[in-house]
Amino acid sequence: MNVGIAQGERNPNSSWLNSRGVWLTYIILLFVLHFILLSIPYITTPVAWTLTTTIHNICSFYLFHLVKGAPWETSDQGRARRFTFWEQIDNGVQWTGTRKFLQILPIILFFIASFYTKYDRTHFVINLATMLLAVVPKFPIFFGVRLFDINRY
Amino acid sequence: MSNYQTNKPGDDNNRTSDHRNREEFEETPTWAAVVTVLGYAILSALGWLRDFLRHIGLEEKRTAHDPNPKDFVPLYQSYECFYTRNLYTRIRDVFNQPIASVAGAKVHVMERVSDDYNWTFKFSGKKIPSINLGSYNYLGFAENQGPCSEQAIKSIETYAVTTCSTRHELGHQRYVKELESLMAEYLNVEDCIAFGMGFATNALNIPTLAGKGDLILSDKLNHVSLILGARLSGATIRTFNHNDMKDLEAHLRKAIISGQPRTCRPWKKILIIVEGVYSMEGSLCKLPEIIELKKKYKAYLYVDEAHSIGAIGSRGRGVVDYWKVDPNDIEIHMGTFTKSFGSAGGYIAGKKNIIDYIRVSSHSACYSSSMSAPIVQQIISALSIIMGRDGTNDGQKRIQQLACNVRYFRRQLVDMGFIVYGNNNSPVVPVMLFMPAKIAAVNREMLKRDCAVVTVGFPATLLTESRVRFCISAGHTKEMLDHALKAMDEVGHLVSLRYSKKNPHHRWVELDHADYDKEYTS
Repeated sequence: MNVGIAQGERNPNSSWLNSRGVWLTYIILLFVLHFILLSIPYITTPVAWTLTTTIHNICSFYLFHLVKGAPWETSDQGRARRFTFWEQIDNGVQWTGTRKFLQILPIILFFIASFYTKYDRTHFVINLATMLLAVVPKFPIFFGVRLFDINRY
Repeated sequence: MSNYQTNKPGDDNNRTSDHRNREEFEETPTWAAVVTVLGYAILSALGWLRDFLRHIGLEEKRTAHDPNPKDFVPLYQSYECFYTRNLYTRIRDVFNQPIASVAGAKVHVMERVSDDYNWTFKFSGKKIPSINLGSYNYLGFAENQGPCSEQAIKSIETYAVTTCSTRHELGHQRYVKELESLMAEYLNVEDCIAFGMGFATNALNIPTLAGKGDLILSDKLNHVSLILGARLSGATIRTFNHNDMKDLEAHLRKAIISGQPRTCRPWKKILIIVEGVYSMEGSLCKLPEIIELKKKYKAYLYVDEAHSIGAIGSRGRGVVDYWKVDPNDIEIHMGTFTKSFGSAGGYIAGKKNIIDYIRVSSHSACYSSSMSAPIVQQIISALSIIMGRDGTNDGQKRIQQLACNVRYFRRQLVDMGFIVYGNNNSPVVPVMLFMPAKIAAVNREMLKRDCAVVTVGFPATLLTESRVRFCISAGHTKEMLDHALKAMDEVGHLVSLRYSKKNPHHRWVELDHADYDKEYTS
């Protein structure tokens, strides 16, 4: 038990994404990444958008669906140890505001990237693949599911 | 606390909307929230990078190593210590600083130096005499000289240090009985029982009062001891938004209408648990409105006055005295002796039949050892001084000095343009910092200017709400407070802490004595 803390929250990982300013910062960080990619001379705009989408989706897959547990010593007696970050958000309640925001964002990025790459076939395939990688694990039927026992323990 | 709340004029009870009881929680500016989250994001990214460097061997691993060979199941998950390793250790010199004197109005902080970025510390030998703005010493009784400590030491000669026994056996001594009757008289209730530890008073007695089939409605920002007691009791727990009477009423109505969760039977009892003063926010509970609600829906009320007993109210009798309500309206008064009386332990007070029941069936009375003589004597001496029983008016002077100090300090901070949370009369003064680096910066800079303060950040508070929390004491003189205000003014300018949009930003100018007397000591 963390004595002397302000609230009785067992796992701060479940609620820090609801804090003020987090969604805005997420979008700002995404744009910062995009501008960095745009400023590299040999990368054209379509390639920059596809790269932004790909990097965002791969990083988000790693951080939300591969890493398990919390970076703090939580006072929930290890209940969150086997859950990924996505499953810990809001203590497992589905379809909250944060979850909807995080599910919609890769889809919006996919639309923007498709527009800027002028619906070219290669770009489309790459963007679609990474978008599915980011969006499908967030469905409620995959809550707690570990395919082929990968990443189970 | 992300909404700007004041008491609206249309409230039911006029007292809570009086301007003297103003509570303010100014909204976080959006740019400050964004910069704070960016700060944590950059720190985490750097943390991942350094963990990777440690993994491939480019950087030295400074944490403990798992002694078992590689094919054993790991003892711990190293991701669990990510925050400690990469964020907490960077500013570790700011937390848990050792002191070398009694933690009164002034304290000697031992200076530490570190060669390896806070992984190990060495004492430099120097002691920094500083003004203590972090200890819960509201009435200034944390001294090692004076009548309280002399009488406490003398009581060891009469009663020895401790009986090492529980209340049900040899722990029931004359001095504990004297303390309980004195405390019951102080609070104007029928009876009182005292325990050796404040945390345990909550955690071990709420299970006695509530059980399976009961409902506990507890405020969102209640202390961990209350939450632990509620969880141990086995009752159903619902939380309502902090100090939000409409939410509390909605929860009460919904609970009474729908009954227990699965069987829909009526609840055996409903217990509302609130605190007098919330120590992280500095807010007071709205007691008159809660009592009205409780009478309307026939619930019971438990008030935890850990930070408010002795510190709030015109005679120092806590929130009951502050709001001028009838003590018989509150079923359980609970409080601790740690903050205002300079001692240790907790008490529960109320009607005689409830206290008799607790005496018999409390876990703490049966299994944990009772209070020891010098501790009890310190409380009895402090109580006699506060109640005026010792013949002087030292007690009343302390209470007035505390109230005057609180008003002065808060007003000066707000006039400087800082965001200060809480009620105008609460001795706990949180000033918002928001960004993680400022937690360390403010603490170090204040210590350089001889002020010892307590700064807290995530995960003890919400992510974007790190703060520096001042605890004002009756032992602080005007000179000490002026020194602290001057230091805070310089630090606020250096670190840019003036966030307030409602109050204009000023540099601090010392009030001359005539103005101070006119405004604050009348």
